[in-house]
Amino acid sequence: MSGFEIHIGCDIGGTFTDIVAQMGDGALHVRKVASTPNDPGEAVVAGLADLLADVGASLSDVREVVHGTTVGSNTILQKAGAKTGLITTAGFRDILEIGRIRTPTMFDLTWEKPEPLVPRRHRLEVGERMGADGNVVRPLVDDEVLAAGKRLVDEGIEAVAICYINSCFNAEHERRSASLLADHFPDLLVTASCDVLPEMKEYERTSTTVVNAYLLVEMRRYLANLTRNLGAAGMTAPLLVVASSGGMMRVETASEIPVFAVGSGPAGGVMGAARLGQANGNPDAIAFDMGGTTAKASIIEGGAPMLTSEYEFRDGISTPSRFIKGGGYMLKVPAIDIAEVGAGGGSIAWIDDGGLLQVGPLSAGADPGPACYGRGNDRPTVTDANVVLGYLNPAGLAGGSLEIDPQLSERAIMTHIGEPLGLNLVQAASGVRKIANVAMARAIRSVTVERGRDARDMVLMAFGGGGPVHAVEVAGLLGIREVIVPAMSGVFCSVGMLASDVEHNFVRNILRPLAQLDAQTFAAAVEGLAADGRARLGADGFPAERINLAFGADIRYLGQSSELTVPFDPDGLRGGDFTVLHDAFQHSYNETFGYINDEPVEIVNIRLAARGIRENRLTFEGVDAHVVALDIPDGERSAWFPSTGGYATVPTRARTAVSAGPVAGPAILEAYDTTIVLPPGATARSDGCGSLVIDVPDSVMEQ
Amino acid sequence: MDASGTRDIDPITFAVIKNGLDAIVDEMAYDVIRTARSEIVKDVMDYSAAICDTQGNMIAQAKTVALHLGAVPEAMGVVLDLYGDSLVPGDAVILNDPYQGGMHLPDIFMFMPIFHGDTLLGFSVVICHHTDVGGRVAGSNASDSTEIFQEGIRIPALKLFAAGVQNDTLIMLIEKNVRLPDRVIGDLKAQFAACRTGARELGKLADRYGAETAAMYFDELLDYAERMTRAEIATWPDGTYSFTDYIDDDGFTDTPLPIAVAITVHGDSVTVDYEGSAPQVPAALNSTKSYTNSCTYLSVRCCLKGDIPNNAGVFRAIAVNAPDASIVNPKIPAAVAARALTGYRIVDAMFGALAQIVPDRVPAAGEGGNTVVCLGGYREDGAPFIIVDMICGAWGGRPDKDGIEAITNPSQNLSNTPVETMEAQHPVRVEEYALVPDSCGAGKWRGGLGVVRSYRLLAPEAGLQLRADRMKILPYGLAGGEPATGAINEITTADGEHIDLPSKINRRMARGDLVRHVQPGGGGFGDPLTRDPERVARDVWNAKITADYAREHHRVAVDGATGILDEAATAALRAGG
Repeated sequence: MSGFEIHIGCDIGGTFTDIVAQMGDGALHVRKVASTPNDPGEAVVAGLADLLADVGASLSDVREVVHGTTVGSNTILQKAGAKTGLITTAGFRDILEIGRIRTPTMFDLTWEKPEPLVPRRHRLEVGERMGADGNVVRPLVDDEVLAAGKRLVDEGIEAVAICYINSCFNAEHERRSASLLADHFPDLLVTASCDVLPEMKEYERTSTTVVNAYLLVEMRRYLANLTRNLGAAGMTAPLLVVASSGGMMRVETASEIPVFAVGSGPAGGVMGAARLGQANGNPDAIAFDMGGTTAKASIIEGGAPMLTSEYEFRDGISTPSRFIKGGGYMLKVPAIDIAEVGAGGGSIAWIDDGGLLQVGPLSAGADPGPACYGRGNDRPTVTDANVVLGYLNPAGLAGGSLEIDPQLSERAIMTHIGEPLGLNLVQAASGVRKIANVAMARAIRSVTVERGRDARDMVLMAFGGGGPVHAVEVAGLLGIREVIVPAMSGVFCSVGMLASDVEHNFVRNILRPLAQLDAQTFAAAVEGLAADGRARLGADGFPAERINLAFGADIRYLGQSSELTVPFDPDGLRGGDFTVLHDAFQHSYNETFGYINDEPVEIVNIRLAARGIRENRLTFEGVDAHVVALDIPDGERSAWFPSTGGYATVPTRARTAVSAGPVAGPAILEAYDTTIVLPPGATARSDGCGSLVIDVPDSVMEQ
Repeated sequence: MDASGTRDIDPITFAVIKNGLDAIVDEMAYDVIRTARSEIVKDVMDYSAAICDTQGNMIAQAKTVALHLGAVPEAMGVVLDLYGDSLVPGDAVILNDPYQGGMHLPDIFMFMPIFHGDTLLGFSVVICHHTDVGGRVAGSNASDSTEIFQEGIRIPALKLFAAGVQNDTLIMLIEKNVRLPDRVIGDLKAQFAACRTGARELGKLADRYGAETAAMYFDELLDYAERMTRAEIATWPDGTYSFTDYIDDDGFTDTPLPIAVAITVHGDSVTVDYEGSAPQVPAALNSTKSYTNSCTYLSVRCCLKGDIPNNAGVFRAIAVNAPDASIVNPKIPAAVAARALTGYRIVDAMFGALAQIVPDRVPAAGEGGNTVVCLGGYREDGAPFIIVDMICGAWGGRPDKDGIEAITNPSQNLSNTPVETMEAQHPVRVEEYALVPDSCGAGKWRGGLGVVRSYRLLAPEAGLQLRADRMKILPYGLAGGEPATGAINEITTADGEHIDLPSKINRRMARGDLVRHVQPGGGGFGDPLTRDPERVARDVWNAKITADYAREHHRVAVDGATGILDEAATAALRAGG
């Protein structure tokens, strides 16, 4: 049988590859397979074939494969990128290494600065200079560019980044240098900063361009292999990549500007949460994704994820404090504003020198994993605490497929936490859980309260393997009244990708006081951006009626360094009256910082997110999730809840039980990909979009 | 060890409140950076944010300028003495007077009392270094002032807001006494916004736990930090350890100014004595006692292991004695604007003494503190401009690894102003911002390279005030490591004349003149002849040192072009003694 119209969402992680098929009628099917890190396409093809066979379809029925990948982030973490060179303006060879000179910790004389991705030897200078007004101060000498190119090629350099001072105001020298190198050294991969993102601040731009060059080889190899694997198996449908911003990129785009896909992994889940919120009436929501090593939080406002225009990519855990710099590689690209804390299921609980209980950032990961796995880690993790408290099935996790030994959890917690602190087992386990909850709440605070947003006005959308285990209590810490656990919450990143659009981002620098902005300059910038956007999407195959252009203006008070981006509709501004921009900025500033001034403002950039609206993108309306059914009969086990202060026997049900009617806590709902903990007083019901809606009880709020 | 002392402390609540406070102060700090107007605050990040308890003890500080922390207690003491019980919700007190709680005039402190109902819960504190507070030299940072009255407007502890109402008299007075009132008032508003954030969030903490319980945990946090500090100091060998470092000169004479420290470890506490340090100087290098305390606390704190909370409990194990009318404890009317330089040298001297106590933790001397560059004047159209820029820095070699290059001094946590931001806002062109090869002190572990930065003036003329040091007294090495190279100041005029300048400058610049500052590198740690030749070769390959340097300082033979090590020649060089 054939004739299906199938869209595939695929999250290729380090351990597992999750594949979700969206059928033409909206039904979702899932397959989770072990990843094949040496050739990620292998797992995708095998899992996909398996899944399609199950539903009686073939690869030729697939219309599109959208996927998120950790290739970008892993390449940086493992220092596995291209041998990269950098060409700069004379006098600025070390901009990349100097960076912003801060340290992320204080009083720490043992700190190490991250090694620059390009060593000094491979950072070369050419004589040229643009002024801040865009005029040429010192002309470019072609021979110097060619000499630098030759030197780098002789050194075995594979990719080169070009970043000149003030190229954001005049990119002529950069463009000429790039084309000279391309002409004379055809094997050299060249990235000029003006083609990545032409924004002010030389270190941020240089760093971003260097990371882009650094990723070119790996990302191209990976995408080519994946395309080839799928093609060899008989698939002709296009392959898309999720960008850090949550938008989709064609393979061709991702091959040119891979730096836009470094945050590809977690973006799908946030996009899914945004679309789900549109469907079930929650345009303002917090996306909360708890995995094995970290928990991530981001906010969705008016149905769209909140974006940041720069972030620091660092080894391991990013701190939720966004003003701390110096710990990683600066990327000035649009990305979903995600705060991450080192509190996942595998995070290890420990006691510091002063007797203070801590959780993470050290994690036992998936291997050896929590103590209860019995694979060699005897230190207690958050998962062990959840086992002791009765939240996780003592017979085994992942629907019983992963056996565990609860006694190992108990021993780990008593030995390392209970005995040293003089606490009994339940005090120690609930303490570990509480510290983890507080850490996760801190990540959420940093994307809500720090942005002037009140978490209490939002719902918490919890996914990832551990999200629904903790969600209700985390919500309680923040005063959140409603928790939503989406369909297939354990593989929600794959599901979410199916809800994304294709997106290209463009920016034009037009720095000047808003009062001095004239209609002509503004129109020229807007039209230039629009033309770029339409051209790119046209090349991607989108007809005009499926193209959406979202403009934003970066505005600040005269003299500030940070801008707020306010969206605008260019049609309303053609007359040259920019009061609307001014008012929108004041409104947004007041929301974020709680005060406004009657002072002049300046406009820095105009941005465009050009979106191609995908056909049949997932809307979650009436979603029908065919998960591997968990054949668990109704049962019961002993679990401990803070509000009752003791162990009690609570019912355990299959997650699917909720479709028959609301389930009241205390109860534990089990699904093959996650466990949902309902404390006393909480009630779970269905929302018609495949998710569970949980009312958070007062007893949790008052803890 | 146990987290609880004599109070009824729940270890879980304790951890929750500690993390909560850390989140609040970071949130305050983030507010400042997003809303401030001056590069010195928003780009260089010369500011700090903290929460104090009702007695003025600092219970949490954001990851901002470390050296501000130790000065908070004295300033809070002044506020409490003056206003005590009369503070009400909506008040915000500011001060900058070095002789009444302040450090130097550009650093304006703001304190906001935080109430929970009628109960005082604590204080939000935000300190910002302002671009200009008036006085004889733009930027208010001159090192050649001879009395405080030349340095700008002195603000005693006054309410900028009283019960939520802005004090227009004070605002107008400030506006008339500073060169860039928009920036100063804008930055004060940023401080106010951040203080309010702290007040709001601490209020929520008290909502959840009750004001009394919260206060009990604040006390416990201080005790906990004190216990951790004392536990570590108790492992240090008792005795007295001395070290003297020097400031090159005061800018008027050639005489080096000693900073002498003697650290006495007795049981679980230390006493630090500055007897033998230079008398106060008729230049702006005098460090107020509060700042001297701060530098002392910080130096000890850097040598403690463990994640000790950043609060005033740490200070209790450290006593500081500084002779009256000295450079580390001046008397009015001594000028203090450039006291940061003396602070850096205090930290260097402290580290030199601490290296005798915990030799496995202390690096060789770093660059000796950031260099301050102030360039102020008027554009063609008459509009004023002031650049306050700071150039950092290098760390010395460490007991088990190299120093770091291009890094904030560990006693601060400063950043730098983007070249493109500076050029877009000011009539200058930066022509060089780079590392300086061969500027490191050699050692088994080498120091970081120094940094060079230059500025060409594009306006008709301007005043240049530049404060550097370590031109004559170089950053020291430790354990046989060599000192680093010294600072260089030079001007190349528009018509090509080259002028070498002393470390501390206050002079005019004309259009087209280029001023260039080279920072010192960091000192080396350990005998340079024991450095792994492969590491030496790698540094040559990576253009951090030259082949000549490798041969001269390490007796290692490396091909300068390829960076390839010549093992036989190296063996011969090293055998040659």
